[in-house]
Amino acid sequence: MSDHPTIAGIENTMKSAILEKIPGAEVSVGPGSGGGHFVVQVVSAVFEGKSMLESQRLVLGAIAHLMKGDSAPVHAIDSLKTRTS
Amino acid sequence: MPLTDQQRQQFDDLVKKSRVVLFMKGNKHFPQCGFSAQVIGILKETGVPFETVNVLSDPAVRDGIKEYSSWPTIPQLYVDGEFLGGCDIVKEMHAAGDLQKKLGVVDKPVAPPKITLDERAAKAIKEADEGGTSPPEHLRLEIGPQFQYELYFGPKQAGDIEVVVSGLTVLFDKTSAKRADGINIMWVDTPDGGAFKIENPNEPARVKSLTAPELKKWIDDKKSFELFDVRGEDERAVAKIDQARALDEAGEKHLLGLDKKTAIVFQCHHGMRSKSAAERFLTEGFTNVFNLEGGIEAWSTKVDSKVPRY
Repeated sequence: MSDHPTIAGIENTMKSAILEKIPGAEVSVGPGSGGGHFVVQVVSAVFEGKSMLESQRLVLGAIAHLMKGDSAPVHAIDSLKTRTS
Repeated sequence: MPLTDQQRQQFDDLVKKSRVVLFMKGNKHFPQCGFSAQVIGILKETGVPFETVNVLSDPAVRDGIKEYSSWPTIPQLYVDGEFLGGCDIVKEMHAAGDLQKKLGVVDKPVAPPKITLDERAAKAIKEADEGGTSPPEHLRLEIGPQFQYELYFGPKQAGDIEVVVSGLTVLFDKTSAKRADGINIMWVDTPDGGAFKIENPNEPARVKSLTAPELKKWIDDKKSFELFDVRGEDERAVAKIDQARALDEAGEKHLLGLDKKTAIVFQCHHGMRSKSAAERFLTEGFTNVFNLEGGIEAWSTKVDSKVPRY
């Protein structure tokens, strides 16, 4: 990743990171309410029987490295939806 | 970086320093991030006592709590030493009543707010509703802690309060419902085609804006209100609105003698000076204060071209 990643670049990086952790998931990442803000939706059977906390933790864990530090490319996730279908 | 046993122990103690502990940016009086502010709003609404930890004042806590909770964002809410989640989860748990159960407070049922919707607003909403979505979407109105309004179509959620008005279903989450009793949703003309306008009696008093055509309508309708011109005699000699009383010494005396609920409109040349005057009288306790947007300039161009522009 370059020093100044584009928004589309960050979205793709987030998507690949989530897919790596949850293979086969249907992942959509879009812009949120400002620079570095994103909205994420993940559909996967893996969330079956998991609480909202466990489901979100799984997704956030996959992209946590992109949210670390003050100059992180991902500043905030405005909305994270996890569904099983 | 993994936490040392000692750091882990410190967090074990920190999350239990009170039954309810919120790790946030800022403190409960001055949240410094919108997500933290939302959770504060919800906690205050439940009425439970809670402690906050400002992660901005200590980088070790800021990074450490993310590691400790395996959760990369702030805010983070702990109840009885157990991590509940971030803003999204707290909001959803609150709407569904699960947060109240966790906190051991009674989830008081919220009465459906009484709302009205004018014909044009209802028409605009019906036209915008494309329908046929799955799950079916309804009109939702969210009202934020500073009375920011968001009107949009979305699916029904657990804990929603449903109000049917003018043949339309409007959904509110509980907190919004409490802020919505008595609101009036209207559709008004604007230079770019029109917009929703919401009148809400629960809002703290603030200066409301009035357009020149709206003022004209008030005059024509013989609505009860007072109009004050904050400009000096020199400018008033050039151009004035007939009904406007000068806010000179006599004018101010008259104003201060009025009932505090009287509708009062302030006007100047372009709407800036009158805005400051309006704000000043708000602090005097007047609650129904308006600013004529664009001042006498807007009056000349939109209502009465006989009033000279200068």
